[in-house]
Amino acid sequence: MKRWHSLIAPALLVLAACSSSATPSPAATTAAPTTAPAAGDFDLDQWDSVLAAARGQTVNWYVWGGSDSINRFIDTFYGPALQERYGITLNRVPVADTVDAVNQVLSEKQAGTDPGAVDLIWINGENFYTLKQADLLFPAWAQKLPNSRYVNWDNPALNLDFGHPVDNYESPWSSAQLQLVYDSARLEAAELPRSYTTLLEWACAHPGRFTYIAPGPGGFLGTRFVKGALYDLSGGSAAWLTFDQATWDTWSPALWAYLNELKPCLWRGGETYPQDEAELRSLLANQEVDFSLTNDITGAGTAIENGLLPATARAFVFDQNMIGDFNYVAIPANAPHKAAALVLADLLLEPEFQAAQIVPANGFGLGYAIDVNRVTDEAAVAALLAAATQLGEAATPASDLARALVGDTAAEYHTLVEQDWRVYVLQGE
Amino acid sequence: MRRRLSLSPWLSLAPALALVVVLVGASLAYGVAQSLGLMAVIGQNTVSLDAYRSLLSGHGPAGREFWSALGFSLWVSVTATIVSAALALLLAVGLASRPGGGAADTLALNWNLAVPHLVWAVALLLFLAQSGLLARLAAAGGLIELPAEFPVLVRDRYGLGLILHYVSKETPFLALIVLAMLRSQPTGYAQVAANLGANRWQRLRYVTLPFVMPGLLAGALLVFAFVFSAYEVPAVLGVGYPRMLSVLALRFFTDPDLRARADGMAVSLILTAIVLAVAAASLKRGGAK
Repeated sequence: MKRWHSLIAPALLVLAACSSSATPSPAATTAAPTTAPAAGDFDLDQWDSVLAAARGQTVNWYVWGGSDSINRFIDTFYGPALQERYGITLNRVPVADTVDAVNQVLSEKQAGTDPGAVDLIWINGENFYTLKQADLLFPAWAQKLPNSRYVNWDNPALNLDFGHPVDNYESPWSSAQLQLVYDSARLEAAELPRSYTTLLEWACAHPGRFTYIAPGPGGFLGTRFVKGALYDLSGGSAAWLTFDQATWDTWSPALWAYLNELKPCLWRGGETYPQDEAELRSLLANQEVDFSLTNDITGAGTAIENGLLPATARAFVFDQNMIGDFNYVAIPANAPHKAAALVLADLLLEPEFQAAQIVPANGFGLGYAIDVNRVTDEAAVAALLAAATQLGEAATPASDLARALVGDTAAEYHTLVEQDWRVYVLQGE
Repeated sequence: MRRRLSLSPWLSLAPALALVVVLVGASLAYGVAQSLGLMAVIGQNTVSLDAYRSLLSGHGPAGREFWSALGFSLWVSVTATIVSAALALLLAVGLASRPGGGAADTLALNWNLAVPHLVWAVALLLFLAQSGLLARLAAAGGLIELPAEFPVLVRDRYGLGLILHYVSKETPFLALIVLAMLRSQPTGYAQVAANLGANRWQRLRYVTLPFVMPGLLAGALLVFAFVFSAYEVPAVLGVGYPRMLSVLALRFFTDPDLRARADGMAVSLILTAIVLAVAAASLKRGGAK
């Protein structure tokens, strides 16, 4: 009899979940992993009330878990601080791709599950757009965080996320910019290609020694690399911030022509491409290719710290059109612990943690979300300065980064690049 | 001796059946609904066959790859099934005619079953990739100049790595089935045939094969259905293009654009339909015999 129960119980749960999609019923909430005080017992304008509501909560933070060093950074830096300062327990939930967290929230919505399981998501771009479009995000909070005063909300690179207004639905965590990585023991700095044009020349003079990541899910850096080529061919980023099909139709043939010219010179003749950053990096480490791509402000520093690249690895950028952007955290509308999520989002902007995230040894590797000029506290300023000096020679010089920095395209182009790249470059139609 | 239960078998099966029917049935119903474009969360409440239409006509992001993915899936699963069935037959016949060694043979074949597909796929990758162990050994031993000169055996365009994986994994599985049947066969048949003047080949063709064929066919069908629909091995050992149907289905199911889910679900359901059709056809064939 006992066994019979254990078999039938899950089946009934599924039934309950199914029926509730048609008519949301309170019964469905029994399937939720955690129940907690609902939103409403704090006032966003009274930060103390948020802190009080958050005390004792567990915040379920859905984070892309593909980098061991980032996971470790989160567990070592934010976990203890949340616990000691605010009495909040951090539950980091690793996801293979942020879209998995998005799907979780969507499925909860379909099943009528409220409160759900997700409190905070590390997010940007199309995933943010998906949730915002489906009206599944907790609104109007980002600029109410006390530490939001350090954020330059007037910066269009920050208040637009892939061309979509952030509108207070998400708060920044860090910044990133596309860079290339090479091994200075194998290549001289003087012979590095410094533009997409010279890259083509270099690649065809050294067949099989260059490749890029396949644009698509998980291949975010590859998409960014291809968009940079698009900027280069069309004379800059300005035209790409708002979507216009005609602009795409005008310039995309030139983009595919460029990439197809590059293709026969690539690793394995462009027959296949690395699927993600880790795969490309290991090709570089194995000396199969001479370049890899990164988004880290620490350049090759974090990978060197983790023993993934030789100590002679260095990062560099082309002279222009290297896309940079911000990444954010967002709170689902059905988050069970919104107060704790708010406190965590605020903690991420704390200058001491912003300083810690750029230190290569800490393993995070992404840049500031805050505008360091807005920080006045002396200890915080000192921490930020100290961190900057630790970037070291594996990082791209800040002036090179700043000179080449351009914003990302509108989200629509992102999908077009990924879809059409498969058709016109990978399948070579 | 215990009293035999007089309950009808259906009643004793009821808990397990209920679980399967509810779980599979519910997800199937959801799948069909989504493949028809029913996505209440983005306000899509009308049924349409657009996903199927675009797949079958080869249009749209998923459709453009549908036919090549179907062809690739069929190529990999049919080849892997035939090759492993043939090898399993040879292996089992060879082992069965070996005097002694029965338990040791079975153990050697069983050992393979304990290794999950994902583990075996990663092992093959580490071993056979161009930056893998074999390539490094070959380069260190001077057989090739650079590890990258090693032939492309995994993550290749033709699915060789996938076929290699499935053949190495499914041959022992099928061999076990055949071996079990051979061992239950009275040795008398073969001896009678030999007495009547049948040579080795004739004994295999007219005595052994008819005996093991039903089991081998059923096993091969299992292998085909598994290979055709499995996701993890092509995800590890496959390339970006061509992709197997299962990889294509998940790719579109997890697309940030929610409307692409219909495509992913439609691919999954077509995949399921093909497996069911093959199963029905072979059951019918088996029944007719």
